[in-house]
Amino acid sequence: MSDFQELIRSFPKTREYVRDFFVYGFKTRNEFKDKSPRTYDNERRRLESWLSPYVRKDYVSNGSNISLAIDSNLLDTNPLFQVWKTKSFTDNDIVLHFLILDMLQDGKKLTVEEITDLLLAEYETLFDIQTVRRKCNAYEKEGLLNKEKAGKTLVFSLDNSLAVWMKLNENILDALAFYQMAGILGIIGNELSGQLDFQNQTFRVKHSFFVHTLEDEILLSLLEAMNQQLHAFLTLKSSKRNMESAVTCVPLQIFVSSRSGRRFLCAYIEKTKRFTCFRLDTIKSVMLREPSEEYEELQEKLDKNRQYLWGVSFQGPERHHLDTLTMTLQILPEEHYIAERLQREGRGGTVTQIGKDVYQYQKETFDCNEMMPWVRTFTGRILSLKCTAKSIEKRFYQDLHTMYQIYQIEENT
Amino acid sequence: MELFSEIYNCYYQVLRHLLCSQAPLTIDKIRRQICEEGFGESLLSIIPKLESGAWNLFRRDGELYFSKLSPSFLMPLSHLEKSYLKALLLDPRIGLFLNSAQTETLQQMLSSVTPLWKQGQFSYFDQFTDGDPFTDPTYRSHFRTLLQAIKEKKYVDIDYNSPTGHRIHHYYVPARLEYSVKNDKFRLLALKASKNNNMRLEILNVSRMERINLTENTFTSTENLNAIIQGSYYKEPIKIHILNKRNALERAMLHFANYEKNTRKLSEDTYECLIYYNQSMETELLIEVLSFGPMITVLGNEKFLHSLKARLKKQIHINSAID
Repeated sequence: MSDFQELIRSFPKTREYVRDFFVYGFKTRNEFKDKSPRTYDNERRRLESWLSPYVRKDYVSNGSNISLAIDSNLLDTNPLFQVWKTKSFTDNDIVLHFLILDMLQDGKKLTVEEITDLLLAEYETLFDIQTVRRKCNAYEKEGLLNKEKAGKTLVFSLDNSLAVWMKLNENILDALAFYQMAGILGIIGNELSGQLDFQNQTFRVKHSFFVHTLEDEILLSLLEAMNQQLHAFLTLKSSKRNMESAVTCVPLQIFVSSRSGRRFLCAYIEKTKRFTCFRLDTIKSVMLREPSEEYEELQEKLDKNRQYLWGVSFQGPERHHLDTLTMTLQILPEEHYIAERLQREGRGGTVTQIGKDVYQYQKETFDCNEMMPWVRTFTGRILSLKCTAKSIEKRFYQDLHTMYQIYQIEENT
Repeated sequence: MELFSEIYNCYYQVLRHLLCSQAPLTIDKIRRQICEEGFGESLLSIIPKLESGAWNLFRRDGELYFSKLSPSFLMPLSHLEKSYLKALLLDPRIGLFLNSAQTETLQQMLSSVTPLWKQGQFSYFDQFTDGDPFTDPTYRSHFRTLLQAIKEKKYVDIDYNSPTGHRIHHYYVPARLEYSVKNDKFRLLALKASKNNNMRLEILNVSRMERINLTENTFTSTENLNAIIQGSYYKEPIKIHILNKRNALERAMLHFANYEKNTRKLSEDTYECLIYYNQSMETELLIEVLSFGPMITVLGNEKFLHSLKARLKKQIHINSAID
């Protein structure tokens, strides 16, 4: 493995490997069927290098398993942020990065020619003007340098006032410590904290799903499409069938599940005239296309539909437009917290006390199937469950019956 | 605006720390720092570049390396970072950290920047609706006092309304503020001296705190919070079998991703998973397991299995009473 490199040029391939190791954490070399053994070995070695404190090896009969042992209750950072800090670079990149930024720290404005001359005079490094110009322009595009005209020439400068203010202001550093753990695109907060040499030692996140940072590049492109009200062309890979497909859509909103951390793009597909949600981890690439003429109208339509959404599905198993689920529960006076749960977690469903210790919860929604995991959490208190989609009702009782069998609980006791 | 860019590379960060060092460095010192801050194999890549001068960032004098950079070198913020900060300013929780003058200053410095996202572009569809009152002045004041106490390792004196309706008054050492996205609430992970003078972990909802006083007493012991949390886990984890139907395996792996767990394949469609937990997680874990229905079978531990069976027996009892 003489060609092994710790750093990588592109992210998508690595994203899949890290996800598999993290999510499943039990695949051996032979189980990565789509990849060559050499690729597997290199990816695995990189992963061990980037995430060494969290890598666990278990020896099983058909080889050794590698997995990531990450207990979010014990961590002050997301270990998978490391994966974003692995982009490869050239010798010129790193030398010019430090020397140009150092030269401009005091706010002076210099032309590319002056920068090139000073690199030689003050830092004893020789670069051609074209290379220096390319780097300065790239950094102007990234926002690290400012470019302006001074007479007939272009000059570059650096404004560090924001970084200085932040470095001296502990409150904003505390905010970054929090948002990198709990907020959207936490990786950016983490990188910013790193630049300012501040580490989180104050915040933890209870329901934290670290793996989803791997989708942050896709999220960034989708936000760009949403901010500019553009169409987007998505390439998708189904997680179940491993099939690739593509779609053109109007990205409207990001739906987030706080219970699984999963994120979905809610988009409008003009071809089918339907709203659809795509899991972010099934989106392989995003290409921005032409503006949408009816963006605000579509958002209004989505807002009108929202009251009938339970999760991310706009259609139920029986293809009715809407279905109604009615659950009746026994809630004893000392179990008032269960009634509170119905209110708090019921997503706009109505909760009515219909008798002594008897409550009814009712919700009209596009897809009652999505409600079932939540409904099952009330097991032990459900007096009846009715749904206009009869297959849902049937499955609920079938599942209960199966569970009684699994745990050998007699139904006539 | 690139997220995967070399300017955020770990090597750049390591090098910046080395280059901002005022004192000359030996190669051993450089090696140590790379091992501390870099990846597992970074040493093999970085050292040859420094020794050969390919990364001509140090002046060499014999065995010593002198940085060519000023010690006050500071990275400016990229467009991506500024845009991220601007988006944070739109979040109501930012007021927990910044006062109005600081918010205004930051707004001014970012006046020409477009926020990376707006609040309305995200919908947390299953978040509970009784989140904490982040804009309430008393809540903010309590939050800041707790933050200060954590950083200064000070004891605080807290008056607390417990969920059972009791008023509790005690001295605690705040260790971490824990946020739950699902509950949209902050909890305080605090250490409290037990009868035998050992410290034990208590979890308090910030919104249930009536009064907080920062004391002058500093906590000097070196108690390890993680050791206390791990010590609170039951010795025997729950053991579950996951039947990989209806995409249950992937759903379960993601759902339980926030627990310490160990999974192995038993057969083509059955997987075994051990999940480690403590008493405070027990009810929530039971509810989560129940939500999977028959796709998950609990095999142990006895206590957890007993709770699950009790729920099912209660369900059968309710149904048979109706029949």
